[in-house]
Amino acid sequence: MKNFWYLFAAYSTIWTILWVYIMHLSRKNKELREELRDLQARVERVLTK
Amino acid sequence: MQMMFASKGRTLHAVIVYFSMLFAMFFVFICAPNEKIQGIVQKIFYFHVSSAITMFFAFFIVFVASIMYLWKRSDWWDAVAFSAAEIGVVFCTLVLITGPIWGRPIWGTWWSWDPTLTLTLVLWLIYVAYLMLRIDIHDPKRARFAAVLGIIGFVDVLLIRWSVEKWRTLHPKPVLIQEGGTTGLTSTMLWIFMFCLGAFLLLFFYLLRERTSITQSRHALEVLRQEIDDLLAR
Amino acid sequence: MSSSKIFIQQVFALLAKDLKTEWRTREIFTSMFVFTVLVVVVFNFAIGADTELIRQVASGVVWVALLFATVLGLQRAGHMESEEDSLQGVLLALHDRSALFVAKMVAQMLYLLGVVVCTLPLCSIWFRIDFTACIGAFGIVFVLGILGLSIVGTLFSIMVLHTRAHEVMLPILFLPVSIPLTIAAVYATAQLIAGKGLKDIADYLALLSVFDIIFFMLSIMVFDYIVEG
Repeated sequence: MKNFWYLFAAYSTIWTILWVYIMHLSRKNKELREELRDLQARVERVLTK
Repeated sequence: MQMMFASKGRTLHAVIVYFSMLFAMFFVFICAPNEKIQGIVQKIFYFHVSSAITMFFAFFIVFVASIMYLWKRSDWWDAVAFSAAEIGVVFCTLVLITGPIWGRPIWGTWWSWDPTLTLTLVLWLIYVAYLMLRIDIHDPKRARFAAVLGIIGFVDVLLIRWSVEKWRTLHPKPVLIQEGGTTGLTSTMLWIFMFCLGAFLLLFFYLLRERTSITQSRHALEVLRQEIDDLLAR
Repeated sequence: MSSSKIFIQQVFALLAKDLKTEWRTREIFTSMFVFTVLVVVVFNFAIGADTELIRQVASGVVWVALLFATVLGLQRAGHMESEEDSLQGVLLALHDRSALFVAKMVAQMLYLLGVVVCTLPLCSIWFRIDFTACIGAFGIVFVLGILGLSIVGTLFSIMVLHTRAHEVMLPILFLPVSIPLTIAAVYATAQLIAGKGLKDIADYLALLSVFDIIFFMLSIMVFDYIVEG
């Protein structure tokens, strides 16, 4: 089991980077949905005026 | 093509990706035989090379999507090109980090200017420049420039590979003998590797779908915001 | 075919205009030349007094200096262009828009050739290299290399004109893409300095030629897409 820690480091890196990217994508998604809600609210306000 | 990216089937896709990655891990750690010379570190190879192939495939998609964008002028192709480039850079980063981690115990040094790894480094530089050119603003002019870069970058790959190979022959070889030297892949290793590659490609397509739809939604929202602003101004 | 005659005429006209403007102030050429000399001198200080070592890295130093000089020259040219905003007008008048690309590329090549001709004697003295030994071979390598730098550089310089951080984007785009050219040019020159002949650098020459041809054709093909609208 020599060099085990290298193996562990490599796989941890892969999972970390992939996970960070997926988090980044879902944050972008959330921003989009908030922007959409914001726009919808504005339209509502204009229509009810 | 656009139908393929529609929102149904996304959960199914995600589930398939999850399980295939899980099984890939299982196969690599439990079923794969230990390589004689390199020992347990060799197992990095499965995910390292899968990432590399996925990266090349991503940049190939950028190339194709860039050509299609210049030809058809469809925003969808532009979104695909941009997303594929971003995901390609992610996998590229993976290759550049796992490479040295694998190299350190095997070559005795973190970086040995191995031709493929060096090619990956140059590609990282080119496609990061591509992303800097784009950011996330949808500007038709920018999209065209980026498409041109997407085409140039891929065409350059062969030239870079050739020149780095030549350059490499002048460079000192790494100290330990194991540079690239393995006892070869047994058939078990081969099918496990193919499985890992398949899992990575499925992951790539899933990320591509997500990123493309985010890009398109963002653009649609911008258009909408513009329209609302115009309406309100009247 | 009269369209290719028109093309060549327009290239010459554009080229003459650019060169005439440059001749008046000699701004671009001077800054490129001074910068190249500076880079060479600074490298000499940075690398140390070992004459053997300097001789070995001479080729790399010269080509790195040329790379940066290309970026500098293109930025100056682009700056002057955007100040006058003359590109749009020129493009409308052109029969085939890639004439603009060819003209600018040739202009850049001429500036670089000028820089090389002026700098080589200095390098000859500082690095103790005899370039006249096989001046033909050196000439071929430099011409092919400079051609490649001009092609890629001009293409990207026109692309980045309208981006926000254009001064930073040009080197970021240009340097990685031209790595094959850099490698081939540096090592071909190094081999020639070490006394080898044309036969020995044949594969570097092949790489340089292929690079030049591919990028020239690519640039002509995509140029229309860059300058439209």
